[in-house]
Amino acid sequence: MTEAKKPRSLATEAAARISKLVRANLSATVKAREEGKKVAYTFINNGQDEIIRAMDIVPAWGESFAGVCAAKRDAEKYLQKAEAENFSRSLCTYATCSIGFDISREELGEIPPDAPWGGMGRPDMIIGSAQQLCDPRFKWPQATQHYLRDVPIYVGSMYYPPWDPNMDQRDVEKIYVKYAAEELRALVRFCEKHTGRKMDWDRLAATVDLTDKTWNLFIDTYELRKAIPTPMDTGDAMNTMVPITFNLGTQETYDYYLTLNAELKQKIVEKKGVAEVEKYRLIWPAGLPSWFALGDFQYFNDKGAVFPVEVTYRNAERLDRLDLPKTSDPLEHVAWRWVRFWTHWYDAARKRPGSLPKVERIIEYIEDYRCDGVVFHSTYSCRSWHAGIVHQAEVLKKVYREIPILIMEGDIVDISTYNEADTHHRIDAFIETLEAAKRRNS
Amino acid sequence: MTQLEMKGLATADKLYSQYGSRARELKAQGRKVIGYLSALGPVEILTAAGVVPLRLKGTTGEAITIGDAHMETMVCPFVRNVFDNALKGKYDYLDGLVLPHLCDSIDRTYDTWSYGLKLPYSHFLNVPHVTDDPSLNFFKSILRVFIASLEKFTGQKITDEALAQAVNAHNHNRQVMRALYDMRKSDPPLISGVEMTKVLVAAMGLPVLESTAFLESVMREVKERTPSSNERSLRMMLVGAQIDDIALAEIIEKAGAWLVMDDITIGSKVYWPDVDITPDPIHGIAERYLRKLKIPTTCAGEVDSYKDDLQERFGHLKRFVIEFGVNAVILFIYKYCDPYGFDVPSMKSFLESSGVSVFYLEDEYSTSSPARLKTRVEAFIEMVGQ
Repeated sequence: MTEAKKPRSLATEAAARISKLVRANLSATVKAREEGKKVAYTFINNGQDEIIRAMDIVPAWGESFAGVCAAKRDAEKYLQKAEAENFSRSLCTYATCSIGFDISREELGEIPPDAPWGGMGRPDMIIGSAQQLCDPRFKWPQATQHYLRDVPIYVGSMYYPPWDPNMDQRDVEKIYVKYAAEELRALVRFCEKHTGRKMDWDRLAATVDLTDKTWNLFIDTYELRKAIPTPMDTGDAMNTMVPITFNLGTQETYDYYLTLNAELKQKIVEKKGVAEVEKYRLIWPAGLPSWFALGDFQYFNDKGAVFPVEVTYRNAERLDRLDLPKTSDPLEHVAWRWVRFWTHWYDAARKRPGSLPKVERIIEYIEDYRCDGVVFHSTYSCRSWHAGIVHQAEVLKKVYREIPILIMEGDIVDISTYNEADTHHRIDAFIETLEAAKRRNS
Repeated sequence: MTQLEMKGLATADKLYSQYGSRARELKAQGRKVIGYLSALGPVEILTAAGVVPLRLKGTTGEAITIGDAHMETMVCPFVRNVFDNALKGKYDYLDGLVLPHLCDSIDRTYDTWSYGLKLPYSHFLNVPHVTDDPSLNFFKSILRVFIASLEKFTGQKITDEALAQAVNAHNHNRQVMRALYDMRKSDPPLISGVEMTKVLVAAMGLPVLESTAFLESVMREVKERTPSSNERSLRMMLVGAQIDDIALAEIIEKAGAWLVMDDITIGSKVYWPDVDITPDPIHGIAERYLRKLKIPTTCAGEVDSYKDDLQERFGHLKRFVIEFGVNAVILFIYKYCDPYGFDVPSMKSFLESSGVSVFYLEDEYSTSSPARLKTRVEAFIEMVGQ
């Protein structure tokens, strides 16, 4: 017997407002020229947001646009365009989708009229990043410049000490902070050169302060999801991540999380959960979602499984937990904030032999959010966030406890690898495993 | 200590087919062996530390059977294959491992390597991607952190004098290898692509002084050859990452072309750039690895001119085309490789602008389906030859 397919329902009103914000971000890149503003292609979690905002540069996020194309199931034309240029399908599909769109826009001399949500405006500059997060963040700009030859590139660096159980990261972190701050200063010079404007350092400092406040508020808000039943799950978080990810350093973003915070508190008071009956609480500890298949979260919810917590797009922490050294230099502060964030779970990992910082983070969330199972998502075109997932799952079982784990497979943008029936069968089987584990433990 | 027999190409054959055998012998004689991945392995520092540096390779003819249980299949097939080899005990004589930050496939799997192999020494060398001045200074600090960790492991200080000696030894080794490459410039080349691939693989598995002596023995043998009559007109260059198997060279040369040059990471990419002799040896070493190596994982911090940037990244390829009389190029790129993969359109058009034919192939680090590769390469050679 086939079950009636329910449309994806958003648990929060705040999440439902996100599509408007994403459209506005795209639209800003198209209108920028009329408004005398410069547009920069840029990338998330690079520590460069505050500089871009303080310089009044309009960020254009290829990762966001590719996600929109995927969610609209309209990415194939751009993927094929890139493939025809010899970009392999095995490369990052955020990048190849975005480059395919760039090629189309250059060929037409204007934004293709059928571009999802109005497309992205042509950039005046590309701000990339070299770091331990993702090779495409410096390769994508180079590849894009092949088609936008007049557009200058800046690639900054933001590294952090690698995990080594035998080394205290604090012994070397100053090397990293100094380097990251120098690279941010070079970005300021690049932006000044290409906008013809000088940096307003007071405005930058205020923007950095606003980010600090936003990080704190974001974490406070997300921690409300510890409530049983949880008032919001990962299906929503894949929307509510947009402000902190793409609009960091803006008052609008801070205000957004104030609203979300109030909404979640109200839901907790009313005991309104995500599922009709919350049977299983799960963590989404790693993996970008298949943007064309966000309905799969609803499929979990319909089975009584909810995700009160995820690691994906939760790239922030309360600043008091990071114990940041004091500095009067806003760029050095940004560097400390990110370096300390990426190394935040090192101490915990050192205390548990055989563990890993990423696994410690998962364990912390499993405990705090009282999770019964773990669902990873492995994406074939992205090594950055997905290589190492199998190992994390292995270590988690070894150092923590036997806990049901599902590793789903797919892609962020390329729908050709997706089979809904197979995916749902795997979820069904996992739910049975969760139920069996629950019976064993009761 | 037993000596390695230096019998030119016969030694190359032996070391190619029994890769790592010399390192294993040296280990049995009490030396410490440190394995490393990629062109970014700082061999001067390993040599100065008194250990045997061994560049790791996989086995292209063997399926990955254990590694896939621990490492995702969208990781670089080369990295997965080497890891699988290591798990199967092919490198059971290693004392340690150095994984430089080349790409996501290495960076994101470092934990898998260190936990899977459980070697007494393991180090992730955080090489930056950008080549600007702050990056160079950062990299020098990172190399010093590496030196300190190596000193702790070996119990021996790595002096500036030892580093300077190692720099000289490796520069000399590269100079001898470049002289051997010169023997490919004649028409026909004095050494075939298949032979050269074996030499490159053999050389990367030896301590530097032995490697140099080995190369000199190959030189002596090859110099004595008299050029045969040449019925082949096509002179090819191979471009890619770590191509350490003769399969592709064999296909090319059996199809009637010569493989006369490469831009691969066990070949010209590592043998062309020397370390400058600087008062602080770390400075020269850092400059070589960060700024002189032409690999797709490094980039300029700021690029205003696309044309100048292409020249900086790929200009050496055009020089090779002229110097080695190349008229066709194969870009052999491993699947799931973002650094090389994103370069394909720009590199291909840059090379084509010099008048050579370019064939782009994406494949696995595997020789399990040679027929498919053979058909495609033969078709290209036939097309270019017409």
